[in-house]
Amino acid sequence: MWVGATGAPAGRESLMPQTTPVIVASIATPRREPWARKTALGLVFCAPLILIFLVLVIYPMIYEVYLGLDWEIYTSIFSDPIFIQTLWNTVIFVGLAVNVKMFLALLLSALFSTEHRVTRILGGIFLLPWAIPALPGILSFRWMLNGQWGIVNKILNDLGFAGYPWLVRRPTALAAAIVYHIWKYLPFWTLIFVAGRRGIPKELYEAGDIDGAPPFQKFRYITLPMLRNLYLICCLLSMVFTLGDFVIIKIMTGGAPGDSTHVLATLAYRYTFQMGKIDWGIGTFITALPITLLFIFILIRKIK
Amino acid sequence: MRKTSLLWRVFWTAVLGLALALTGPGLAGMAAAKEKAKLVVWWNKGYYKEEDEGMQKIAAEFARQNNVDVDITFTIQDDLGPKIISALIARRVPDVAFCFFTDWQIAPKFAWEGQLADVSDVIKDLKPRYLESHLKTGWLYNKAAKKWSYYSVPIEAQALGSHYWKDLVQEAGFDPDPKKIPMKWDEYWGFWKKVQDSLRKKDPAKYGKLYGIGMTESSRATDTFYNFEQYLLAFHGEILSPEGKVIAAEPKNREAIVKTLAFFTSIYSEGYVPPDALTWTDADNNVNFNNKTVVMTPNPSISIPGAHFFTNKENYYNKIGSILQPTSPVDDKGYPYLVSVKPIIIPKGSKNQALAKKFIKYVLEPNNFANYVKASNGRWFPSFKDVAADPFFHDPKDPHVPVATDQHLNHETRPFYYSYHPAYSQVYTENVWGKAISRVVTEKWSNEKAADEAISRIQTIFTSWK
Repeated sequence: MWVGATGAPAGRESLMPQTTPVIVASIATPRREPWARKTALGLVFCAPLILIFLVLVIYPMIYEVYLGLDWEIYTSIFSDPIFIQTLWNTVIFVGLAVNVKMFLALLLSALFSTEHRVTRILGGIFLLPWAIPALPGILSFRWMLNGQWGIVNKILNDLGFAGYPWLVRRPTALAAAIVYHIWKYLPFWTLIFVAGRRGIPKELYEAGDIDGAPPFQKFRYITLPMLRNLYLICCLLSMVFTLGDFVIIKIMTGGAPGDSTHVLATLAYRYTFQMGKIDWGIGTFITALPITLLFIFILIRKIK
Repeated sequence: MRKTSLLWRVFWTAVLGLALALTGPGLAGMAAAKEKAKLVVWWNKGYYKEEDEGMQKIAAEFARQNNVDVDITFTIQDDLGPKIISALIARRVPDVAFCFFTDWQIAPKFAWEGQLADVSDVIKDLKPRYLESHLKTGWLYNKAAKKWSYYSVPIEAQALGSHYWKDLVQEAGFDPDPKKIPMKWDEYWGFWKKVQDSLRKKDPAKYGKLYGIGMTESSRATDTFYNFEQYLLAFHGEILSPEGKVIAAEPKNREAIVKTLAFFTSIYSEGYVPPDALTWTDADNNVNFNNKTVVMTPNPSISIPGAHFFTNKENYYNKIGSILQPTSPVDDKGYPYLVSVKPIIIPKGSKNQALAKKFIKYVLEPNNFANYVKASNGRWFPSFKDVAADPFFHDPKDPHVPVATDQHLNHETRPFYYSYHPAYSQVYTENVWGKAISRVVTEKWSNEKAADEAISRIQTIFTSWK
């Protein structure tokens, strides 16, 4: 039984005599904290974070831009025969890997949103690639795709097809890196979209059911509009992450064959840590900075 | 009353904190000044634990004798190279650094920039003991000081040998004795092709994916560069003059480059090299050899049989053979062996340079160094005549180490081109030959076009190093 504020059962509360509250008004108006003092106090509390941000984010960025101001850097790196191809590889890698992955994640999130025991078990298994450390995962892919003794060619041979040197040709080597990226990160983004779908009010679907909307129309007119912002934010976030992805290409192809599969991150690493040319490394990142900043700018606006 | 007491307590705590903050660093500094001198050493992790243990023992003994602390850390070369480069760029350096990548990736560039200490005094003491071609690697140009001098101390080297499975050669119907392997250029390569053909014919199911030649041809492996430049010498080609001028475009040299490229791409296209050799790392020819998916592999050290010494003596002594390179296809004579000599450096920013030099001299004392270098089981050949005279390097029962000894002591050897001009270290890092091979094999360029692109790239790199 619900008990009212006075301690009496709810239904009888209205029958109890009402007491008039005594309001003791202060004669003097309350002293308001001066704005400057309040701000100063806030700044003191925020100081450690601001300091860390200045030292670890703002200073390195300004210093990087300062080091990258020399025009000669860009003449040098653009004269490197692999630089333009590397830019294209980065666009292909980021563009394909992120968009295919996100689209698949959106579709799969529908499956994992269903309240069925089988899908729950499947969901657990589906998350495994995300949990596997990157290095053994990439090495396993590399070995599976080995032209001589990899399992992929073995299966092809057993089925009567000729094997293919997957990592020896640029298109298939890049494709292998993209497929690995999708395999590895698809579960994470699917999980995000599952959470997004669960946030959509059920009443909207019920209204759709009443109106006799088929599943595709419910997806088109309810799910998609409700997930649009989340989808865009996830795409942008993933693009920023993928743009700086170094490990997949480094381990999977190492830029081979013939330095034709480098992306900006691996090339910048080579310039900086193998050639000792920090200015070239910075120049490489700065060429990607306008795109990265654009992504971040749109992202911040969308989040607001 | 309670409020006042609390305020006082806060006040005195703040005063105490401030006092400690102000005097703490000073006190710590005074305490540190009374401590022993500390030498920070970054050393390449060995392939066998005996190497690290040997070096640790030397460092401990040096610390005891000199009453100093030696802070020695061991890191694998793939991580240590970038670590040293980062330290030199950031100017927060160790006192002594030794990495297998120093000779081509670090010393030429940072000596050029004036960031390495001049070690001529160390070399002066060691000079009578040196193998001459090994010493050249330490002689580098300092652009800041506008002088050539010794900026690194060479200690050990590797040169290109070849290893093969004797049992596979025998099964193919040939005599596996190293003395019976034909050593004329065409016959030599033809021999490995015949072994592959014969094995595949004999048992297609078992040997269908076995290859005769485990030649690394990838742009991601330094072995590719080693192999290419070694065989370029076989074709009598030169890239730089001894003065460090690019002469690759001269007709004789261009022709040799095209022929070398044609050699690499033809053995690949004919199917005698594993397809994935175009993407191999430095470890992959070892892996393929150990898995017996290749019969023979050229390798810039005797690390392949060396690894079997600890795990399978039968393989080391009876099943694996080691030989040198075939004669030149041009005149059927020998040609110089390229030696990749690994040096120790002292960064100019080291605050303990005198102690660092003393440490290097101590490490290189004949007994100390002999014990260390022998622990690598022949992988590295010492740069010092007295250490090379140790019976370990001349054991007639050993089928591999004396082959390397013969190469270093009885054949002409010479350093890589980055010892002629530091700009070549960039050519090496960019792996222009690996790229050229890939142009021909995967992009179907002609050997001439790919050679011209590589030559042009070398010229461009040299222009930027003025």
